[in-house]
Amino acid sequence: MKVLIVDDEPAIRDALGRKLRRENFEVVLCGDGLDGLRAFHAERPDIVVLDIVMPGGMDGLTVCRRIREVADTPVMMLSAQAITEDDIIEGLNAGADEYLIKPIGLNEFVARIQALLRRVQIGMSETEQGYNDGYLNIDLHRRHVYVDGRRIHLTPTEFKLLAVLLENAGRVVPQRLLLEQVWGHEYIDDVYYPRVYISQLRRKIEPDAANPTYILTEHRVGYRFEKQTPAFPKVD
Amino acid sequence: MSFSNSITLMFNGLILAIAFSFLLIALWQDARKTLNQFFAVFLLMVMVWNIGSLMAQVFVLLAAPVSSISLVVGIIDLGFTGSAIAIYMLTASLVGLSARHFRPLAFSALGLMVVYQAVLLLRGAPIAYDVSESGAFVYQPQALSVLFYLLFGSTTFFLTWRYRRKIRSKGLVVGIMLFVIGQTIGLLNAELRIVSLSVNLSSLAASIISFAILRKEIITPLSERVAQIEAMHRVSLAITSQIALDTVLNQIAVQAVGWLDADGSAIFLTTPEGLRLATVYNLPRQFIGLQTRSDRSLAGQVANTNQSVYVENYRRDWNGEHDLPLARETFGSVICVPLVYGSAVIGVLMVISGQQGRLFNRDDVHLLELLGGQAAVAIAHSQLFAEQEALTTEVETARSQLETVLASTENPVIAVDRRLRLLMANPSAKQLFGIPDDASGKALSDLIPANALPSDFREALRNLRRSRTHIYEIQVDSRVYLCHLARLGGPRTTGWVAVLNDITQLKELDRLKSEMVRMTSHDLKNPLQAAMANLELLRDDLREKVTQEAEESIAAVAKQLERMNRIINGTLDLERIRTGAIRSDVCRAVDIVESAVDELRQMAAEGQVSLNYSVTDDNLEFLGDSEQIKRALVNLVENGIKFTAPGGSVHVSVEPGVNSVIMMVRDTGIGIPPELQSRIFERFFRGQQAGTEHISGSGLGLSLVKAVAENHGGSVWLESQPGIGSTFYLSLPTLIKRPPAAAKHAAIETLSNPV
Repeated sequence: MKVLIVDDEPAIRDALGRKLRRENFEVVLCGDGLDGLRAFHAERPDIVVLDIVMPGGMDGLTVCRRIREVADTPVMMLSAQAITEDDIIEGLNAGADEYLIKPIGLNEFVARIQALLRRVQIGMSETEQGYNDGYLNIDLHRRHVYVDGRRIHLTPTEFKLLAVLLENAGRVVPQRLLLEQVWGHEYIDDVYYPRVYISQLRRKIEPDAANPTYILTEHRVGYRFEKQTPAFPKVD
Repeated sequence: MSFSNSITLMFNGLILAIAFSFLLIALWQDARKTLNQFFAVFLLMVMVWNIGSLMAQVFVLLAAPVSSISLVVGIIDLGFTGSAIAIYMLTASLVGLSARHFRPLAFSALGLMVVYQAVLLLRGAPIAYDVSESGAFVYQPQALSVLFYLLFGSTTFFLTWRYRRKIRSKGLVVGIMLFVIGQTIGLLNAELRIVSLSVNLSSLAASIISFAILRKEIITPLSERVAQIEAMHRVSLAITSQIALDTVLNQIAVQAVGWLDADGSAIFLTTPEGLRLATVYNLPRQFIGLQTRSDRSLAGQVANTNQSVYVENYRRDWNGEHDLPLARETFGSVICVPLVYGSAVIGVLMVISGQQGRLFNRDDVHLLELLGGQAAVAIAHSQLFAEQEALTTEVETARSQLETVLASTENPVIAVDRRLRLLMANPSAKQLFGIPDDASGKALSDLIPANALPSDFREALRNLRRSRTHIYEIQVDSRVYLCHLARLGGPRTTGWVAVLNDITQLKELDRLKSEMVRMTSHDLKNPLQAAMANLELLRDDLREKVTQEAEESIAAVAKQLERMNRIINGTLDLERIRTGAIRSDVCRAVDIVESAVDELRQMAAEGQVSLNYSVTDDNLEFLGDSEQIKRALVNLVENGIKFTAPGGSVHVSVEPGVNSVIMMVRDTGIGIPPELQSRIFERFFRGQQAGTEHISGSGLGLSLVKAVAENHGGSVWLESQPGIGSTFYLSLPTLIKRPPAAAKHAAIETLSNPV
């Protein structure tokens, strides 16, 4: 597995790199956003770790958005700048799958990397049939999602979230269960993850994100996927 | 028949006619009056005497038989003695000398005398009379008549002389004396031939007395009444024209003296300290202002008892303390009446007659009481008027002071009435909003921009009602103001006043501070991450190759780095809670407590501290930021666990309070000494207590709890006993929206306590 680490602080970058190499990861290190983006295209890493505040014209959020324009590669933010929940949400909205706050222990860092990679891999091994009602078409096997006939782009975490909800369609999935199944049991207390991702998902698949019909909120409990009456024939 | 006899006859007849007519007038005027009754008896007796004399003359001329003469002499005797008694009764009545049952006694004396005469006649007692050569009837009164006369006549003479001042009528004094003298002449030796002179003189005196009584009883009272009405009119004028108190008092003093024909007067006014001499008339002016505390002075007694007092002779009759210096030496007759307004005695009016002056009587007291009533009204009105003027002046002064203060302050101040029309705007406010000078009474919405008004009127009114103030922020011309609203008026709201504070600079400072806290924390976190990561690598590298001591050193470094991390996180958390927006979730108390306790079970287990909770009402809900409240509760519980020795316990409970939810965290820890209790909510404060050296912490946990409490409009406090344990209380309002002002308060407080 190849990990790209972009951080302007050499001492951090190097320490993280050394730790990952000891855990048998292949590691690419970069000192600024532009370098990092170049390295992403050149090295095709399996996962990207981004610092947010970096010198030069490109910060971590921008790098993340640029990566999302072309790939579903899992992205992990590692920032010292997390004053409010809004900072974290901003990071997740930029397309990150994970937002870690410095300082973090190396063992935990490695565990999170592994969990994120596991999430992506599990998503690929799903064998369900998928879902199609004419408006929303989810192909679990090929990891493709179509809305009103157009293919839309989902991040691995978004896709995984949608898959878990679909699997439990008609049933409420409690927040903690959702966190455990989508992100892994390490994330069980990070309650804002589902909130951010659900709203992201709604924007992408719901006809009207403000009045969702597919993904419904069960207040203070969790979320529920509701299948709709098919409206064929509008097939890809 | 001589010429003189015919003159005497004519004169007697004339006098009788006049006297009789006067009698009729007096009785017609008031027959029940004692004086009139005595006067009638007197005239009757004089008539009897006169008729006797007349008949005697006639009988002598006609050479009537002796028995007829005897009858006539009896009549003369009756008339003579009777009139002596009657004149005494009249005089006694005039000078006010009256014993109990005086009237029946006097009348029975008269009756006794009549009976005696009748008995004499019936028994045919010898009568001493003679007829002179000229045919005049000469009569020598009986010894008993002389005795009667001497008794009554001389007493009458004495009384008249003694009380001549009191009688107040020269005619009466002269008439009575003349009458007594006339009777005396009749007692002289018959040989002097002056009996007819006696009768004539007495008749004349009787007519003088008649006239004087008529004058005294009818003419004078009539003219006095006119004078009284005039005096009353003058007093009323003084009242209605509402002139100054001094003038009113002076007027009353003058009127009282003129009215009662007195020599001087004084008015005392009631003050909290006693009676104060307010004005005098015809008395030394330097007495004004004298204070009498004593109830034993005449004025004091009158004020106390609310009863008029008449003292005929001050030196002789008044035994109390004297009212004024030299009063005993100079005062004669004195009348003192209370001045009553409503039910309170507001003063005392004293009218004084000099020792040689007039003697007052009961009628004068009634007159003065009449005047006193008017005077009291006049004085009370003047006092009210003066008080009102003083009040007006005071209000005016206060108003101008307030205006000066408002004009000189840089804070814009605006007052509006209940219908939001402008009452007042100070110069700063006028300048800020461009309010014209003549804007008073115009609608506030036309004068200031809409964003300067509270965004939620109902909430503003609710806050004003509950906490008497509403605070909100407004922005005018790129400056930020904190606007304090307060109610105007007493129990009923008459309007509102807004005071604006320019907090632009404070806000900017606050922003800079937050920025700095963020920057610093961020800049500290990167080196910290590098150090921690590398230390971990170093530990891995040196595994099993390192000495026990080196391992301990590495652990110490790790621990310190961890501590630094906590401080930074604590600072950021606090900053976030103090400045960040707070959410308004429906919080279920039991959920918050459960999740806080869950989060710390591990820590409690490690410290061998038993951690449990109880919630009385599972459905207890309130509005608040659930995340913040949970953080606060976690901090309290964490604190409790940290300071509790193994084997101890920490108990969390929630109870509903009055419009609030109270969360309690009770531990069996080391406790907090009283001198530290007030400081432990301060930032970075860590009590230097024995036995706590090993306990790590950022010193920010409790100040975060306090910030959360303030953000929610709640409070936090504790009870603690060293060695026994502590209980922390976090009280949060239920189902009440957080006052938005609280966040701003917190922001400003942050500025005054820089990190």
